[in-house]
Amino acid sequence: MVELTDVGFRVGQTDILSGVSAAFRPGRFNVILGPNGAGKSTLLRIAAGLLTPSAGAVRYADRPVERLDREALARVRAVLSQDVQLVFPLSVEEVVLMGRYPHYGRVPTARDRRIVEDALEVVDLTARRRQPYPTLSGGERQKVQLARVLAQIWSDDRSPGPKVLFLDEPTSNLDVHYQIHILDVARGLLAGDCTVVAILHDLNAAFEYGDAFYVLEGGRLVETADSAERISAGLLERVFRVQARRAVDSGGGGGYWRFSR
Amino acid sequence: MLNRLTYRQTYLLLTALLAVAVVLSAGVGAFSFAPATLWRYVEQGLGILPRDPADLLGRNVFFDLRLPRVLLSGLTGAILGVSGTLMQGLFRNPIVEPGLAGTSAGASLGAAAVFVLGNTTMRVLSPLGAFAVPACAFLGGLAATLIVYRVSSGFGKVNVFTLLLAGIAVNAVCNAGTGFLSYVARDPQARNITFWNLGTFTTAEWHGVTLVGVVFLICLAWALRQGKALNALMLGEDEAAALGTDPRRLIVRLIVLNTLMVAVDAAMVGVVAFIGLVVPHVLRMARSSDYDFLIPASALFGAALMEIIDVAARLVIPPAELPIGILTAIIGAPVFLWMLLRQQARSDPARG
Repeated sequence: MVELTDVGFRVGQTDILSGVSAAFRPGRFNVILGPNGAGKSTLLRIAAGLLTPSAGAVRYADRPVERLDREALARVRAVLSQDVQLVFPLSVEEVVLMGRYPHYGRVPTARDRRIVEDALEVVDLTARRRQPYPTLSGGERQKVQLARVLAQIWSDDRSPGPKVLFLDEPTSNLDVHYQIHILDVARGLLAGDCTVVAILHDLNAAFEYGDAFYVLEGGRLVETADSAERISAGLLERVFRVQARRAVDSGGGGGYWRFSR
Repeated sequence: MLNRLTYRQTYLLLTALLAVAVVLSAGVGAFSFAPATLWRYVEQGLGILPRDPADLLGRNVFFDLRLPRVLLSGLTGAILGVSGTLMQGLFRNPIVEPGLAGTSAGASLGAAAVFVLGNTTMRVLSPLGAFAVPACAFLGGLAATLIVYRVSSGFGKVNVFTLLLAGIAVNAVCNAGTGFLSYVARDPQARNITFWNLGTFTTAEWHGVTLVGVVFLICLAWALRQGKALNALMLGEDEAAALGTDPRRLIVRLIVLNTLMVAVDAAMVGVVAFIGLVVPHVLRMARSSDYDFLIPASALFGAALMEIIDVAARLVIPPAELPIGILTAIIGAPVFLWMLLRQQARSDPARG
C-alpha cells in the first residue's frame, strides 16, 4: 500500500500540489484524472519516491519512502514515464535488461535473462529484440519501456510479495489495439498483489479499467471515488470544461461518456 | 564489425593493438630502436641482464626520454577516451568530449596561470609545490565544466545545442585567458605555452607521468563500477532514479573525477581535442553503447590510438615534430561534423 498524507509541492511561490491525501491499495487499478497542468505527473513522481514533497509524507507499507533503500525500493516499484528519450543505439533487449539492474550485481543471471525474454513476449517484441531502440516508432518505444518496467517488478517464486507500478499516460503513443493490450497487462498484474497507479487521459478507458479514482484540479484533490458510477457528469463538466453526456452502447448494453465543448 | 566478438574478445583485440602500438611508439623517433634492442634495455633496466656500457646512451634515451613519453601518450589517450565516454554519459549525448565542453581549456588556463604568474603573484600556492599546476588546472577545468553543465541542463534534461554553444563560449574565454597569459609572459614561457596549447608529449618526465598514472587509475577504478548507473542515466534522471540509482550523486562524482583526470593530464600535455569524441564513437559503432563495455574499451583503444598518432607526429616533419593537437583535430573534426550531420538527420537534436 502506498499512502500519501497531506502532500504538497511548491516551486517558488506557486503551489503545484497542496493537501493531497490518498491511499493506493494493492490489487487495485488506481487512476489519477485531471486536466493538463493539474499536477498529475508531479503527484505520480512524489508517490513513486522520485520527488521529495515540500509538505506531507509518502509511506510504503507504513514506512516513510525516504527511509527505504533506493535499490530495495526499485525491486518492488517501477515507473513508466511518458516519453523516454534515448539517443544511443542500445538494442531493445539491452533496454529491457535495465529493468533487472536493481536485481543483479555486475552480470545478469540466467533468471534475469529469462525474465527479459518473458517481458518482451508480453509486449510482442521478441522478434525485434536486437533492433536499435532509436530506430523504433513511438509506439514501439513505449512497448519496450513497458517491457522494461514489467521486468523490473516481475513476480515469480523467487520474487514474491507486493509490487507497485506507476504509469504516466501509458497509452499516449499506442494504437487502439495496444492501448487495450497495455491496460489488460496492467490489470493482469493486480491478481499478483500489485498496486497499479496510472494517469489516464481517456476517461472512458479510465472508467472501464479503474477501481479507484482520484480527480485533481489545480493541484488539489477534488474527488476520490471507489467506483466509476460515483463520478458525476457535473464534476467532469466542471473539471474538464466540457459538456458530458452518458450514452448507451447499443451492442453491449454498457454506458459510456460522450464529451463535447 | 566487432559484433560477433564477446566483450572479452574485444578487450583482447584492443590489448593486442595497444601492445603493438606501444612497441612501435617506443621504437620510432630521432633514435630508432628495434624491438629486440628495446627488450634488451628493459632486461638491463630490470637488472636481469648486466648493464652493457656500450648501451649506455641508448638506454638513457630510452628510459629518460622515450619511455615516459610513451607512457604519457598512452595515459593521455586512455584518459581522453574514458573522459569522452563519461561525459557522453553525463550529457546523454554522443557529441561531447572534454575539449568541446571546455574542461581541457579551463584546465589549461588554470595551469598556464601558475606557469606565468606562479613565482610572483601567486605566493599562496607555494605550499602546494609541484602540485600547484595540476591543482589550479583542476580548479579551472571544474569551473569550466560546471558552467557548461549548468547552462545546458535543466529539469533532468540536457539541451545539446545549448551545450555546444556554452562549450564554444567557455572555450573562447579560456583560450583568450591563456592567450593573454602567453602575451604577458617572458619569452621562453610564452613559447612553451603556445606549443603546449596545441598538445605535446615532449615535456614528459617521470614525476608527471607517475602523477597522471595514479590519478587515472583512481578515476578508472571508480568509473569501472558505474557502468549500470550510466546506462540507466541514458534513459533520463527520473528513470535512473526509478531503477534504484542516485543520479544526482553520480553526476556530481562524475564531474569531479572526470575533471580531475582530464585536468591533471592537461596540465602536463595541454589540450588534445577530439580523441574523447572519436574513441567512444568508433567503439559504439563497432560494438555497443553499453557503458560496462565502453569504459574499459575506450581506455584501451584511446591509449592505442594516441600512441599511433604520437608516432605519426614524430614522423611527419623530421627531425622536428608536429604538436599532437594539430593531428587529432585533423582526424577528429571531420568525424565530429559527420556525427552532427547524422544526429541532425536522425531526429530533432535539440531534444537531446
